[in-house]
Amino acid sequence: MRRYLLPVAVLASLVAAWQLAASTGLLANVLNLEDFLVPAPSEIAKTLWEDRSLLADNAWVTLKEVLLGFGCALVAGLAFAVGLHLSETLRRAFYPLIVASQTIPIIAVAPILVVWFGFGIGPKLAIIALICFFPITVNTLDGLRSVDPDAVKMMRTLDASRWAILRRVESPTALPFAFSGAKIAVAVAVIGAVFGEWAGSSSGLGYLMQLDNAALNTPRLWASVTVLSAMAILLFALLALLEKKVVSWR
Amino acid sequence: MKRRIPLLLAAAAITAGALVLVACGEKPENVNGQPQPFSLTLDFYPNPDHVGIYEAQKLGYFRDAGLDVSINSPTDPSAPIKEVAAGRADLAISYEPELLLAREQSLDVKAVGALVDRPLTSLIWLRKSDIKRLGDLRGKTIATAGIPYQDAFLETILARANLKPSDVKAVNVGLNLLPAILGGRAQAMLGGFSNVEGIDLKLRHKDPTVTPVDQLGIPTYDELVFVAQGSRLKDDSEPIRLFLAAMARGTAAAEKDPKGATQALLEQNHSLDPKLTAAEVKATLPVLSQASPKRPYGYMDQAEWQQFIGWMRDHGLISSLPTPTQVLTEELLPGRIPG
Repeated sequence: MRRYLLPVAVLASLVAAWQLAASTGLLANVLNLEDFLVPAPSEIAKTLWEDRSLLADNAWVTLKEVLLGFGCALVAGLAFAVGLHLSETLRRAFYPLIVASQTIPIIAVAPILVVWFGFGIGPKLAIIALICFFPITVNTLDGLRSVDPDAVKMMRTLDASRWAILRRVESPTALPFAFSGAKIAVAVAVIGAVFGEWAGSSSGLGYLMQLDNAALNTPRLWASVTVLSAMAILLFALLALLEKKVVSWR
Repeated sequence: MKRRIPLLLAAAAITAGALVLVACGEKPENVNGQPQPFSLTLDFYPNPDHVGIYEAQKLGYFRDAGLDVSINSPTDPSAPIKEVAAGRADLAISYEPELLLAREQSLDVKAVGALVDRPLTSLIWLRKSDIKRLGDLRGKTIATAGIPYQDAFLETILARANLKPSDVKAVNVGLNLLPAILGGRAQAMLGGFSNVEGIDLKLRHKDPTVTPVDQLGIPTYDELVFVAQGSRLKDDSEPIRLFLAAMARGTAAAEKDPKGATQALLEQNHSLDPKLTAAEVKATLPVLSQASPKRPYGYMDQAEWQQFIGWMRDHGLISSLPTPTQVLTEELLPGRIPG
């Protein structure tokens, strides 16, 4: 329990300081805070409660996008990592492309995705997957390549097949790396979902944020941000828990 | 006790870092001397709606008025009004509906003049959409810009054709209106301007039907207005008066010399396409607010404002019913005698 004490204490004191700054005229003046720019936490909390069903409906839409998009990225990322690990030619051919894929701003791909995939869940998944698969691929690949060479040599002397080496030696070594990549990916997946919804949507937290921003409804905008952050933290924690169960030898 | 020091140091480092970040956002102090710095935040990235501004800048009308005007583009169209309310900009260009929403949220802002005194926001469809009249929208996908009051526009428009909101599929595409309609994923779009997107589609030979929303059952309103901080108007309104006077000159000059005005706009904004911009400027000049024998530059029709305020309230966009004089002032328009 004690390990949760510190993060909770840091978070609580930050929120308290924010509340104090936003509600005390003097501090707000010094920091140039205006309530229409940065609402007080108490106001956000009020909105969270009052608009809970609206927020929940839209959060559910975004959560589905995040889980599916992350799932696609996980499958593609692991497959890419294994493929690039097994073939030097593939690695040389595709590695620069994978890095380049991370440099494409969403604003450049969004119109293409809208035209290709329409306004369904397709473009959101594509954007989330595009953002997520990079950390998964790179981390897993690093993991696969960090295997103790002696262990591989020993497997070879035992006449092990390539598949057996991958399964018994390389994969277990790479697993913690893959989890690190997945944890990074899941945290940024929610940002991908928001960008995806900005490209074309009729529901979701990103959609709601855009409307609330245009309507100058800052408290609800921040309420959506809060829900989104909570979602990312929760998914991250679930992965960390899973990692603990799966990577038991660490 | 010893072990606490690194923690304290770390906390101090974080605090210092945060303070630096906050300080980076500070507005620099005004420097005394002439001409006086004056910041204007546009409603969007520079486009033909701003042709009078760039013409006034180029011809030195702002300088004549003793102002050193800096023109800034916002991060998004709802940002300018917040900047003015927070005192970060001297003047902003916003939209009449946005101003009324800001007042509803208790932002201390007032309109001081119209840049464009009629709606530009239009319902647009292309010939290939097979839409001939409003009723044909049934079952179609309509791209919108993610602006709640424009969603209310759509409801009013649909009601006119005896359609319910559920009879169409409205999709918020943000800034991707043109890709959505050009790619054929949406058959109509609401949120583009008649003088910008409307002209763009025409030059692409897409044969667009462009109908401004005031022809579709929405009361007319001032699409673009200059907005100032309310408290500023009480004690320091002179620079704004001078700015508006220079704007009147700039707009009249643009009217007389559209080619030169287009050039002024292009010179300051190299990313604009010259051919498209020239066509857009031609379509824009007639909709810019202009001085006439009966009306000063920037005139805002209070009866029209009253009617639009009523429409906003009827559609649940605002809950109060302010009088026009609570949301706008004509005191600073050119030709007005300071009260």
